[in-house]
Amino acid sequence: MKSKLKLKLKLKPKIAIVSLTSCEGCQFTLFDLGEKFLDLMNKVNMVDFRLFEDEKDKGGKLDIGIVEGSPLTKENIKTLLKLRKRSKLLVVLGNCAAMGGVPEIKNYQQGKATIKQVYKHIQKISNPEIREVNNFVKVDFVFPGCPISGEEFLKYFPELLAGNIPTIPDQSVCIECRKKGNACLLLECKPCFGPIILGGCDAVCPTSRMGCQGCRGLRPSGNINTIHCVLKNMMTNQEFEDATEIYGLRDDL
Amino acid sequence: MNIKINHIAKIEGHAGFMAKVINGDVKSAKLEVQEGIRLIEGILVGRHFKDMPIIAQRICGICPVVHNLTSIQAIEKALKIKVSVETINLRKLLEWGQIIHSHGLHLFFLSLADFLDIENDLILTKKYPTETKKIIQIREFGLLLIKIIGGRAIHPLTNEPGGFKKVPTIFEIQELIKKGKETLSLALELGEFFSRINVPTFSKISEYVCLGKEGEYAIYNGDIISNQGLHIPLEKFENNFHEIQKPREIIKRVQSDMGGSYMVGAIARINNQHDKLLPKAKKYLKELGYKFPDYNPFHNVAYQMVEIIHFVEESIRLLNTLVNSNLENALTKEYKIQEGSGVGAIEAPRGTLYYRVDIGLKGYVKKVNIITPTAQFLSHLEDNAVIYLSQLPNLTNKQKEKKMRTLIRAYDPCVSCAVH
Repeated sequence: MKSKLKLKLKLKPKIAIVSLTSCEGCQFTLFDLGEKFLDLMNKVNMVDFRLFEDEKDKGGKLDIGIVEGSPLTKENIKTLLKLRKRSKLLVVLGNCAAMGGVPEIKNYQQGKATIKQVYKHIQKISNPEIREVNNFVKVDFVFPGCPISGEEFLKYFPELLAGNIPTIPDQSVCIECRKKGNACLLLECKPCFGPIILGGCDAVCPTSRMGCQGCRGLRPSGNINTIHCVLKNMMTNQEFEDATEIYGLRDDL
Repeated sequence: MNIKINHIAKIEGHAGFMAKVINGDVKSAKLEVQEGIRLIEGILVGRHFKDMPIIAQRICGICPVVHNLTSIQAIEKALKIKVSVETINLRKLLEWGQIIHSHGLHLFFLSLADFLDIENDLILTKKYPTETKKIIQIREFGLLLIKIIGGRAIHPLTNEPGGFKKVPTIFEIQELIKKGKETLSLALELGEFFSRINVPTFSKISEYVCLGKEGEYAIYNGDIISNQGLHIPLEKFENNFHEIQKPREIIKRVQSDMGGSYMVGAIARINNQHDKLLPKAKKYLKELGYKFPDYNPFHNVAYQMVEIIHFVEESIRLLNTLVNSNLENALTKEYKIQEGSGVGAIEAPRGTLYYRVDIGLKGYVKKVNIITPTAQFLSHLEDNAVIYLSQLPNLTNKQKEKKMRTLIRAYDPCVSCAVH
């Protein structure tokens, strides 16, 4: 009986979920799936998920390594490199890992001005530039968003478990937004990046009458300069630039 | 021999722990932060105030709602914006949802296993499937409140300075009431289960700080009060509580003028205002049989259960008020942008969250200060770790480590918030 159980465990794909410096909202998005998340946990062999267990990770190869957050500290970078090394597939969760996230706004500000706003004694505090995960390791798949969409995770994760790398269709946020019957914010002269941003989020922001700010990143055929032309009569250049900083879109400008 | 934990699992954010022990004497205990700095207060400077709630809520993925609400409270004070009763009621419901799901996560998935001597939550969920189902449903009610009113459970979307971009329909409010009633029964049943959990006995006289307001269990606004007689208006918060940055530390700990460390959060609120709980929560608290003042930090977990019951009750009450009101009144109205400073404070799940913002003439942020609950109770946690550890001389190091993890987790620290 015991050996049978062992065999079953061996067949289950080995997974680890690791977080770097972040709000951890992407992990909580998974957790908030409730029973669906627990079902998923039972289908895999969860080797490391520190929200769930005190047990030590025994090391060894992983089928999928999942990571969220920014590799900011030396320890973060070490964790990331180690995860890559042991994972067949490395999957990143969310805007911080994929595009720098809100902490990256610092990169666009002047030198030490940002840290001086926060700390009196800045000596010996490590304050590196924010760099996305793919500056350190090869990334196989990105679940985009701030935070990620739980439903989208459930949709594509089985494919990853089967060893395939899914493709998120090259569709704008507008497709889902229209399907929901929302009034177009752009037609009301309210700034929205929807047309150039990768859909799949169920247009959650415009549905709440909040203009898309691009947390999922550009769609492959999206061009930030085209939207800049459209938005010129709705916001100043400064406002446009500021808006593109929030989720790291400015890197694409 | 020193007690060292490299990485404490099951807390929000990353930290280790180190206690220095020389010849059996516990000299010091320290939470070792392993988080990078994101400098949220710094990056907000020079940006438009409208971006502030959007960016600030991303300090924390478990309590984004309270960062959103508190930053908006401070902004509205700075700009002298008055909002409707309906706006305030919808915001309060967001906060009740926040407390319900955050407490639910902590008391069941992060802390409970410690008291049952289980090392992995998968084992916990298999051993207690009924209770697991109940806590998931209770959390789902909290998450649903935020999703329906805020547009999304993590990093909500609709709430902004001046009101809401979009409001729920009356039908949605009615559905929430129905769900709330089911959740209340579940919460009482789970409460019954929690009342049978044994927690360690330990006690140290503490100062408990929270918001206080005549006639209500204060969460959304109030003065700053403590069980040692402190009573100051919110505007005086920074005169009495000071952020101290020790060399190399990236959490600015908070020191009270009253001297010594102090505690915030569920245990502080229950100690200071348990007489204002709603009937079912009050009855449950009585059945727990704890005596006040209660200085056992492990009881923080049970008090989170009391608060879950209170806030489900309170949600139903408030939803019933909203069902007969015109929710359109909560939609954002035009307001004037002007220079000003404002402060805001709301009871986050883990304790009082404080924001101050200075806004310039054209609406750009000049200065921000954010003081989080964990930065406030960190010294209290470390002080208690020293005393508690000193009372455990006959245990092995491994057992001591385990006790320390249990104590740390009972505080429900949020390292992401504390560093921000």
